[in-house]
This record gives sequence, structure tokens and C-alpha cells, in this order.
Amino acid sequence: MSRKLTVVLFAMLVLAGAMGLKTAVSASGKPTVVTATGLPAPTPW
Amino acid sequence: MLGPVDWIITLLSVLFEASVVVCSLHRKSFRRHFFLNLYMLTSVLVSAGQFRVLVHYGRSSLEYRYFYFYSEALLIIVLYFALTGLYLKVFEEMRVERYVRLGAVLLLAGTACFTYAVVSQSSHRMLTYFVFELSQNLYFVGLVLTYALWGAILKLKETRALVVQFVLSLGVYFSAFAASYAMSNLRPDLYSYVYRLFPIIGCLLPLAWAYAIWRVPEDARLAPARLAVVPR
Repeated sequence: MSRKLTVVLFAMLVLAGAMGLKTAVSASGKPTVVTATGLPAPTPW
Repeated sequence: MLGPVDWIITLLSVLFEASVVVCSLHRKSFRRHFFLNLYMLTSVLVSAGQFRVLVHYGRSSLEYRYFYFYSEALLIIVLYFALTGLYLKVFEEMRVERYVRLGAVLLLAGTACFTYAVVSQSSHRMLTYFVFELSQNLYFVGLVLTYALWGAILKLKETRALVVQFVLSLGVYFSAFAASYAMSNLRPDLYSYVYRLFPIIGCLLPLAWAYAIWRVPEDARLAPARLAVVPR
């Protein structure tokens, strides 16, 4: 398999893994705000 | 409004972020860790901007809401580039920079497309909700990428102590966020307590990076045996 195909496959695997993980932990369906800064997060739209 | 504890944590966070850049400049390694420093600089600017908009318009204003989520999205994208920079450092001897960059762009575009596909199905406020969802999705992509990078470090027997410290602290940061996110979703009644953890977690990453840049020499190495236990 060429290097380019390996990169594409890796990107797809990471995306599928990340979105699968997010779906698994988002059980309630209510959006939770995860933010990096210390200031208060407003309610999402 | 913000309480005294919130103020102290926010100020500490900005102070730690600025200290990463100051330590890098002092150790003359600003360009070597360019993307990490760029993230810290962006974070300081974003905090200052958010503070100004918060004081000027108030927490429930539309201006603060827009500024907050757009600046957060910008921040997580810069953190994504910082993570890509760590990938480039780990794989630099294999001369695959072109492929790492290609993968990073593909993954960012893929995350944006996925977010667009999901948001377009469920929301009529495309542009605003898209930005919010994209930043949340990128946290999870960052988490998976960091674990994959840690696997590569173990496999390649990477021994540069500074790189190992950067990746480990980033792993702890993303894991803590994912755990908080999971806790808030699985137990919504605990959100008011878990919510308090986010700024504290945000403080720990710049503190760990500043400590690493300040205390760990550039050429410091770790013994491979301390990174992974290999069966005899």
C-alpha cells in the first residue's frame, strides 16, 4: 500500500474513532460545552 | 458574573500561558516549538478578547456568544496545528513531513465535512452551530491523535524527554476534557460541578509545558526502558 493511501486510511480511522467515542459518551443528547478558556461559557445556540 | 475563584483561575491560566512563551524566549527555543508557542499566544489573546467582550456586553449578550464560540474554534484549530507540530518532531528522522501535513489537512477537512453533514441535518442555524460543533469534535480528534502519537513514541523508542513531556501533558489534557464531557453527559445533574473543572484543566497544560521548557534541557534523553516494558 502506498504511503498516500496509508495516510488517508489513518485519517479516516482517527475520524471514525473520535466521532465514535464522542457518540458513545453523548448519551443524554443535551449539548455540553467543553472549552479551554477559564471565562464562563454561554449557552450554545 | 465571575466569582473570586473564577477570577483567580482565569488569571492563573493567562499567567501560565504567557510563562510558556517567556520561558521559550529565555531558552531561545521559540522557533523550535513555534506551534506550541503560537497556541499559547493565541490563548492569551483570546482570553483577553473574551474578557473585554464579557465586561462590555455581558454574559447573555449575542456578541459574547458569537465571540466566545468563534474564538474557541480558532483556539482548538491552533492546538490541532500544535499537535501536528509534535507529529513532525517525532517523525522527523523518517522524512515523512509531506505525508504528516497531508494527513493533518485531510483529517481537519474530514472533521469539518462530518460536522457540516451532522449540523445540516439537525439545525437551521448552520454557521453558528457548525462552529460550536466543529470545536467540540476537534477535541475528540485531538484526543485520538494524541494517543496514536503516544503509540508511535513507544514503537519508535523516542527518547527526547521534552517531546515525551509535551505529548504526555497533552494526553492528560485531552483525556481530562473527554472524561469531563462524558461525566456531564452521562450524569447531567453533576454538570454544575464538572463545569468548574474545565478552567482548572485548562491551567494545567500551560503549567506542564512551561515547567518542561524551563527545567528539561533540549538534549535530555529518557532511557527507552522507562517508556515501555518489553517482555524478555
